[in-house]
Amino acid sequence: MNAVSDIAAPPQVDLELRGIAKNFGDFVALEHVDLSIERGEFVAIMGPSGCGKTTLLRIVAGLESMSSGQLLLRGQDISALPVHKRSTRLVWQNFALFPHLNVRQNIAFGLTLGRHDKAAVKAKVDEIAELVQLGQFLDRRVSQLSGGQKQRVAIARALVTEPEILLLDEPLSALDAHLRIRMQSEMKRLQQRLGLSFLYVTHNQSEAFSMADRVVVMNKGRIEQFGSPEEIYTRPKTHFVAEFVGSNNIFDGKVVDVRDGLIRVQCADAIISAASGERPPGKGSTVSLVVQADKVRSHPTGVAAENSLRAVLSGREFTGSQVIYYLETSSGGEVKMVAQEPFSQTERAAINMAMQLYWSPADTVVLRPGIVPGVENMPGRRSYVALGT
Amino acid sequence: MVSASDSRPIPAGVLEAAGDGGFSPIKVLGIGIPLVYSLTFFAAPLVFLVVLGFWLVEDFQVVPAFSLENYLDIAQHMFAKSNYALAIAQSLWVSLSTAFFAVLLCYPMVLAIVYVAPRSRHRLLLMLAVAPFWSSYVLRLFSWQILLANKGIINSALAWAGFENLQINLIYTQTATRIGLIHYLAPILIVVLYVTVANIDRELIQAARDLGATRWQAFRRVILPMSRAGLLVSASFAAIVSFGDVLAGSLLGGGVGNSVLGSVPLFSTMIMTEYASSTNLPRTSALAMILVLVMVLMLAGGAALAERGKVDAG
Repeated sequence: MNAVSDIAAPPQVDLELRGIAKNFGDFVALEHVDLSIERGEFVAIMGPSGCGKTTLLRIVAGLESMSSGQLLLRGQDISALPVHKRSTRLVWQNFALFPHLNVRQNIAFGLTLGRHDKAAVKAKVDEIAELVQLGQFLDRRVSQLSGGQKQRVAIARALVTEPEILLLDEPLSALDAHLRIRMQSEMKRLQQRLGLSFLYVTHNQSEAFSMADRVVVMNKGRIEQFGSPEEIYTRPKTHFVAEFVGSNNIFDGKVVDVRDGLIRVQCADAIISAASGERPPGKGSTVSLVVQADKVRSHPTGVAAENSLRAVLSGREFTGSQVIYYLETSSGGEVKMVAQEPFSQTERAAINMAMQLYWSPADTVVLRPGIVPGVENMPGRRSYVALGT
Repeated sequence: MVSASDSRPIPAGVLEAAGDGGFSPIKVLGIGIPLVYSLTFFAAPLVFLVVLGFWLVEDFQVVPAFSLENYLDIAQHMFAKSNYALAIAQSLWVSLSTAFFAVLLCYPMVLAIVYVAPRSRHRLLLMLAVAPFWSSYVLRLFSWQILLANKGIINSALAWAGFENLQINLIYTQTATRIGLIHYLAPILIVVLYVTVANIDRELIQAARDLGATRWQAFRRVILPMSRAGLLVSASFAAIVSFGDVLAGSLLGGGVGNSVLGSVPLFSTMIMTEYASSTNLPRTSALAMILVLVMVLMLAGGAALAERGKVDAG
């Protein structure tokens, strides 16, 4: 009876990036980036500074030329189109509002460049100002606005021109932490209401995860992983993603056994088991194992479990809702453990106390070298703990 | 330019010295030195000039008095004999048009330095633009005499190129005066305008382009309105300097220059002539006071225009 809806329409692609590359002299800023964004999708590009994420956004906007590649916006090749002819709009990190114009004139800027009907422009500006709750500020000078209001003007100024995709370059980073969280949900609601594609660049993981439908993790001019926030958080595909996202423990070692859907890996301190997945790595191959810090449990006394590791408590960080423990293994590697019920354990845990750590093989993600770009994946590294978020 | 100084951070020591409300040595020095300087070298001579304007000459001797006689005499000759009003009008015409053309010449040069040249070459280009400033003003005017003379370099070059009938009479015209003044003012205007234009945030220009503006529209809608204050400051500076200048008018303009107003000397030249004949110093002071007054009005006019621009912006 659901015959019609069973034949799902193919998702319409808003923006397609094909093999985008960019060199600044000898420096490779972008190395063959492929990406496709579906209509109405919120995609966040995340990565450390210098990873090429802002350059990529500026190339899409037309503010930067590309060395090679192709850009398609709703099926149309815009690679050669100059910036002012593209129907992409950029929202800037520092708002980039025109200080010599008031709020209304700022929002109307893009509408008043060609032939225009003054009454129609006014109506459009009023409408968009209502949408972003700026109605009573239209006659104010830009300098009289707060940071959050300025960002709303910047968004309204872009939206009023009815772009086909909105590009946002760390738009919340100039705001204080409290306002940033409020603007996150506001922006997500706005995006859903308009059904407009957002390409959002940020270095902030919680920002990307809380708003985006899909997240791109970039490093050194390449895409490391593209997927839903859950996927990226729980199933990092590369060493870099495992380090950059969340707080993960990474163990390197050699596969010693593949059996019963589990692989056993000889690491510096213990043999660690992991779910082998569809295409398990061969015996003797080098792999990295990733365990989220909040999946690690502890026992003060030795209890035999699947993945158990002896370690000595070396530091503790109380963050309010949770406690982060830093432990040192016998080989000198560091392991991070996050406990959600802090008070029951903080009393018992003392520095230099020996603990038995364990976690489920199902929570252990296997990374194979070779698919891992970048120098981050150096062989022989015993263990590694990602820096806090 | 004026507003740029608002957000400048204040060194910690200065803030403490200013905050306690007492007379700390730093505060006394910091305010005292510029105050004494401007009182000695600006206010005192000006007051002297004002006072002298009210004195009188009796039996070839300057005697202190408080008389409006000098001003009344000048007022009577505004449209008679010396025709001061015409001279003031001539000076205004020359100085305002000089200011206009000076800005018209310098602004595009500054735009080229800021937006066309790579950033690493800005300093070199500014140095080159300012280089003429290091030579003497009088020397530059003499050079222009050689260039502009009836049998000078320009006309000789024209004749050599075969345009023997096309000989331009440049020397001892108001055009020559303007050329000399513009050459003198250009380095200063370029620096003033460079500061204005270089301070325009490039992201604003890119934002305008991103919103659909062509290069020309980005200039018209963002760069030009944001240069407004700098343009007005440099234009009023050029007008004021030109209004008070004597050398270009006498060396290139020949004292009495032809213009739309006829053969009328510049007001500043007239004051110089009166001073040189030196029969009545108080009366010359009164004339100079009128010159200063016009300059102040020019400055006020420029400031008012700049202020109106701010209000327009909302």
